[in-house]
Amino acid sequence: MPNSSIDIINVIESKLKDKVQIQKGQLSTAAITVSNGLHRDVIQAMVDADPYTAISAITGLDLGASLGVYYHVRTSNAFLTIKAEVPKENPKIQTITDITPSGVFHELEVSDLFGVAFEGNPLPGHFVLPETWPQGIYPLRKDVNANEVKLDPPLEEEKKPSEGKLVKIIIGPQHPALLEPEKFAVTVDGETVTKVEPRIGYVHRGIEKASESRTYLQDIYLVERICGICTTIHAADFCETVEKLLKAEVPQRAKYLRVIALELNRLHSHFLTLGHAGLEIGYETLFQYFWRDREPIMDLIELTSGSRVYPSIMTIGGVRRDLKDTDLPKIKTTLIELRKKLPFYRQVYENEPSLRARMKNVGILKREDALKLGVVGPVARGSGVDIDVRKDEPYEAYSEIPFKEIVYQDGDTWARMNVRMDEVEESINIIEYALDHLPAGPFRVKVPRVVPPGEAVNRVEAPRGELFCYIKSNGTAMPERVKVRTPTYANIPSFLKTAIGENIADVPPNFVSLDPCFSCTDR
Amino acid sequence: MIDFMLIFRILVFPGFTFVLFLTLFCDWVERKIEARIQNRVGPMVAGPGGILQPLADFIKLLTKEDITPRDAKKTIFKFAPLVAFSIMVFAMAFLPIDGGSVISASGFNGDLIIILAFVTIANFLLFLAGWASCNPYGSIGSARVLTQFLGYDIPLTLLALTPAFIAGSLNIFSIAYIQVTQLLPFILLAPWAFVLFIITMQAELEKDPFDIPHADSEVVGGLETEYTGGKLAFLHLTRDVQIVFGAALVVELFLGGPYGPVFFGLPEFWYSLWFILKLLAVVIITEYITTVFARLRIDQVLRANWKILLPAAILSLVLTVAMVTWIYPMVV
Repeated sequence: MPNSSIDIINVIESKLKDKVQIQKGQLSTAAITVSNGLHRDVIQAMVDADPYTAISAITGLDLGASLGVYYHVRTSNAFLTIKAEVPKENPKIQTITDITPSGVFHELEVSDLFGVAFEGNPLPGHFVLPETWPQGIYPLRKDVNANEVKLDPPLEEEKKPSEGKLVKIIIGPQHPALLEPEKFAVTVDGETVTKVEPRIGYVHRGIEKASESRTYLQDIYLVERICGICTTIHAADFCETVEKLLKAEVPQRAKYLRVIALELNRLHSHFLTLGHAGLEIGYETLFQYFWRDREPIMDLIELTSGSRVYPSIMTIGGVRRDLKDTDLPKIKTTLIELRKKLPFYRQVYENEPSLRARMKNVGILKREDALKLGVVGPVARGSGVDIDVRKDEPYEAYSEIPFKEIVYQDGDTWARMNVRMDEVEESINIIEYALDHLPAGPFRVKVPRVVPPGEAVNRVEAPRGELFCYIKSNGTAMPERVKVRTPTYANIPSFLKTAIGENIADVPPNFVSLDPCFSCTDR
Repeated sequence: MIDFMLIFRILVFPGFTFVLFLTLFCDWVERKIEARIQNRVGPMVAGPGGILQPLADFIKLLTKEDITPRDAKKTIFKFAPLVAFSIMVFAMAFLPIDGGSVISASGFNGDLIIILAFVTIANFLLFLAGWASCNPYGSIGSARVLTQFLGYDIPLTLLALTPAFIAGSLNIFSIAYIQVTQLLPFILLAPWAFVLFIITMQAELEKDPFDIPHADSEVVGGLETEYTGGKLAFLHLTRDVQIVFGAALVVELFLGGPYGPVFFGLPEFWYSLWFILKLLAVVIITEYITTVFARLRIDQVLRANWKILLPAAILSLVLTVAMVTWIYPMVV
């Protein structure tokens, strides 16, 4: 947890007292309403005061006559929302990427889905929508009609001759190293990478839009399907946000049961990545070992929830299934067996010479860059940035459970993987503690189906990092707007930075050390 | 007068058919070992214990559609895999397998050099195969093949000279024979050369940790990317024969070739048996190395070659010369 005593609201008040309207306690720490243009000053003041300041997400909103642009900014000890508005006819706003580069991708998404032009953003063109998307139709606005969307004829693939020694290698959308469709145009000089151009959106499913036409209860299962790996955490994030809107208190037992489900989820996700990294560096044996030992974790998820991949255990007001006392010994023995295998894996990841040769000093992300680019989760912690939502803003029962925050200072691929290796052990500790201290009582409370009008933000620590959710309710059974910012979306900019200047063969291990999930990125 | 015995030796045993089935058998052994080390079962369905799986894979590929890309250099693209395979099988014909080589009179003083040249030619043909496919991944993969074998050919030749020097002959038959009849197997006389030779062979055959041309996360299928059907089948087979050939070369140079005790009956039977057993031992060692290491990067591999393996190979030769001149005469 960043040890800091900066009172960020004080800083903003002292600098911009009369110009902005600060509502303390709204939307986590505070909501700040600004007139057009002043959002830059607020963010500038925050960046100057606190090096941990980074854009967590930018939410676009259709407010009828105007469009809302909400900047969700995290600092070392606070989480603020800066509300700006732009007119619908001429939606223009100045970019903040020159103040903090962490906003680049978030701005692109809002500009694609809401048509807000960010003046000065360095990356032009479509980022989420296809190139053939018709002009003037912005899918997440309320007045859009699906029948109007007629794609333009596909563009001819331009065949540029390679300029001099530079060769462009297209990785993706279909590539055996990427399990999901995503495109990275890598320009190489000999074997050295000189430029990386990302393009996402190949599997964009419009979950944010789809959830606006479903009830809150249906949405739990929809957002759970944002990702096939970190499933539970998406549902938990959504449920917690709705509970904030409802001002519902979750029973103590449910909090512990949620922690158990979330940590099992983290365990299997980390095992998957640790094995997959082996595959990327041609270490198939490591891959097979990790995936073998991932199986008992999947069995535990099935035991506790009834399903291996999509547990669907979260619900608004608690969990859907209680943990049977008869199941406890089975879970504990499995975890003990798992713990016995960890020293061997630790040994391999720390000391195996060929693995070290491929991972040590590969894709170094310096601490300053990690802070500037606003990376989250194990990527940030591998670069010495001590942020973990479980510690910084404890949710569920994490404030009551002791656990270590793993931080490595090296900032390379090796450090990022070893953060995960150590977190596996912490996760086992957390689950064992939660099982031992499981309180009695109900595992869910009844909540109304209709949510009162309002808005709420929530953050949780997914296996890949900070997961952000914003929900606006209009007083019906269906949400007005759901925004989810997944950790991979925040971590990809770091890859664009670290890949430059390294060998093309280092690209796969460097990339996999972000634990990229494009299914998350393309919601 | 047709020499039926000669035709039998060339086509059936110990010639083409034997080499083909030995290759498929070694492929099965490799897959089983790799699977067991990785906690898998490996091939199980075709034949007892899945022993027919490599043959089934080969036949399956032969029946698949055979595509030649429009941009490919057609002649080279079509013939390179076949010629590479033929050369490897031809190189095998020089090795004494059942006591003598395939054509009894084919051995001559200096055939060790010819065999090593065949390995180089086969590798070069594989490079051509990838290059002719005119695919970026194929080009990068084959360029890597070229870079790697150019580097590792020199230490390989230098290390192959160690047994030749001890035996005082460049004839592969004499080198193998002298180990059993007059001296000890060279694995005991020159263990340093044996270890280096295995490592170099691993790099020459593009196996982990040196399988850079086959790094599927970087170059997709490498030089095989554009290949399908029968041509792919022969590329795979060439690679498998190369692996068997590499192991066979180690057997001939360091483990005394096919020679061993003859208990009863035909010496050819016992010699073939010893050959296969020694070959399997080498295959198991190399496969073990393959499974326990990650793949290195091309610059790391090349640095290892020029900075470590080449000086080590020269040192090994110097050491051998010194040992042969001053030490061995006192012992043997």
